[in-house]
Amino acid sequence: MGMAFFGPALILLTLFLFLSMILTLVFSFTDFFALNPSLTHFTWLDNYFQVFKDDDFRQAFANTVKFVIIIVPLQGLGALGLAILINKVTYCKAYFKVAFFIPVVMSLAVVSTLWVQIYSPEGILNSILAHIGINAQPFINSADQALPSIAIMSAWQGVGYQMLIFLGGLQQINPALYEAAEMDHASSWQKFKDITLPELKPLCIFVLITITIGAFRMLVQPMVMTGGGPSHSTYTMVYDIYETGTVNWEIGLASTMAIVFAFFVMILTVIQTILTKDKEGKKHVNKKAKTN
Amino acid sequence: MRKRVIAALTMGVLALSLTGCQKSTPKPGSIAGYDKGEQYLSIWVHSIEDTDEGRCYREAVDAFNKKYDGTYFADIEFIPRNDSGGGYSDKINASVMSGDLPDVLTVDGPNIAAYASNGIIQPLAKLTEKEKSVYLQSIIDQGTYKDKLYALGAMESSVGLYYNKDILKEAGIRIPDADHPWSQSQFLDILAKLKPVMDKKKGYALDMTFPVGEATIYYYAPFFWSNGGNMVDETGLTVDGVFNSKENVKTVSYFQSLLKNKYMSKVPIDHLFESGRAAFKIDGAWEVNTLYTSYPEVSFGVAPYVVGDSWNGERYAPTGSWAFAASSKTKNIKGATELVKWMSGVDSGKNLWEKSKSFPSTYEAYETIDVFQKDENYKALYYQLSNYGHPRPKTPAYPQVSTSFQQVLENCVLSGFDPQEQLDKSVERINAKLKRYTLE
Repeated sequence: MGMAFFGPALILLTLFLFLSMILTLVFSFTDFFALNPSLTHFTWLDNYFQVFKDDDFRQAFANTVKFVIIIVPLQGLGALGLAILINKVTYCKAYFKVAFFIPVVMSLAVVSTLWVQIYSPEGILNSILAHIGINAQPFINSADQALPSIAIMSAWQGVGYQMLIFLGGLQQINPALYEAAEMDHASSWQKFKDITLPELKPLCIFVLITITIGAFRMLVQPMVMTGGGPSHSTYTMVYDIYETGTVNWEIGLASTMAIVFAFFVMILTVIQTILTKDKEGKKHVNKKAKTN
Repeated sequence: MRKRVIAALTMGVLALSLTGCQKSTPKPGSIAGYDKGEQYLSIWVHSIEDTDEGRCYREAVDAFNKKYDGTYFADIEFIPRNDSGGGYSDKINASVMSGDLPDVLTVDGPNIAAYASNGIIQPLAKLTEKEKSVYLQSIIDQGTYKDKLYALGAMESSVGLYYNKDILKEAGIRIPDADHPWSQSQFLDILAKLKPVMDKKKGYALDMTFPVGEATIYYYAPFFWSNGGNMVDETGLTVDGVFNSKENVKTVSYFQSLLKNKYMSKVPIDHLFESGRAAFKIDGAWEVNTLYTSYPEVSFGVAPYVVGDSWNGERYAPTGSWAFAASSKTKNIKGATELVKWMSGVDSGKNLWEKSKSFPSTYEAYETIDVFQKDENYKALYYQLSNYGHPRPKTPAYPQVSTSFQQVLENCVLSGFDPQEQLDKSVERINAKLKRYTLE
């Protein structure tokens, strides 16, 4: 009976997920060329050597890592800050929740198009800067500023989702803890550091992992806003996979890139999980030791 | 037992997905208009039906079926594509694998070489010289690969060097006639003369950018061709010594000097030309229509495209658009060729111009459309196209050539990299993509 429920899902998953994954792995060892599949042969590890020697892929990798390094603290702290603020506000709570969540529901392509206007040399942001006496900035038109500009926009777009998660977490914290702290004359900072943060820790890990994986998959923003430029400064790994596979027709090489990419994200997730699990584990051990 | 059933079911689905669902040719009577005795021809186009372009294709196919009633029946399928060509090309790629290509399909001009050398399209049935002479030389050039004609387009395209009449008058600059364009050095002098005028207007002499995608090679390759350079050799398989030639280094340096002298803005500024703050702009022929309809206050003209200092009257101006070709799977090459000829013919081109303002591909269409005879800007673009139109590089590694070209200009002009070093680097990249053709 169990299989009857599980079966349809299994078939669909096999068709659209597992099969594609297996095929990608197989193709990654071949020189599969979309325009001439009949000439495909196994080249084994050739693609893997080629990928690591490829300047574009290395740059795409560096750009992606840079993007992750900028966006994870920005979006994580932003979400936490907003959640705490909204939790404190006593009026229009629902309004603020919705207002910060709206960008999340909007399509990334639409948001990106809007921000192209905001960042344009004569756009609204430069007009505001001019009013406060700052020179016009090139933003997405400069190799130095493009990636941070896209990261800020992406953080703005995605922050509402993590904010809601944190908000849920904040509301779960037992108010008795704060009351006890107040009786001990704890400062706001102490309350935050010793109660709020430790209580939110499991959520922090979840939020960090989701932001990191989401950031690694970045594609739409540079595609719509910069086309990977200027000077390849916003060319990401997924963008490179897409270009190699669909524009240059090299499915074999693109598959290799996808495998390397998946492997990298997997390792990173495992590291994050291990790091956090250890501490959680120790905490439990400590607790157990204390109760014993 | 249950496990076995599910395993069998799963294997069945897997097998089905691996073999693909090969489409069989429909039988007469199964589609409205397809009668017994008619030869069935399937055709794919890169557009959805609910656009001006899509409706033109539908009308052309209907007219074909009427004209060839009893002989052929063409069945059109519309496949949407995104800006970078995805969607449509994904469908082609998948069909190459499953062996499910139609009889006739559309191909973007620069991809004809790759499709031909990989056996996706086949040469058309022989056309008489008279039949060929109907088309602009640039259409025949674009469709020819290794001396065989593979594709014919219903649309052609061009790029204009637009100038602001009022600004040039103010600076006392006169436009040369179409057969004596400014040389690159002369153009630099003109830009120098315009600089003080444009500084006063808080603008630039040139409204110019190097956008990612196809536009950069499309707009600026003529500066290289007319300067004695090229991107690939005649075989389409060698780039070393061609892409990184001395001539190309010189041309890239020329572009660098445009920014160094502040004749152009480093960051793209929207509507610079349209708002009267640029003296010149290089843009597709569609810009004429945009200026007429959205910026009627701008008084502009089309100047002949700038040439290299040693230019000898060779063809050099931008061209190229989507074209119709017969797939290698069609068993009816005669019928497919008829359909290609019909779809790219005079009436089809005229209809496309009327509805979507795409330039037609035949001399007769231009001669019968009023605006190409009377409007000075359209006339200038047609003159440039018919007398100086040059196809983009013909090589199976075209996507890489196009990407490299854009990167070289962007890196050298905007980020100040060394031209020779950047061109050499590109040669390495293109060679890596050409390897699969040169090893065979």
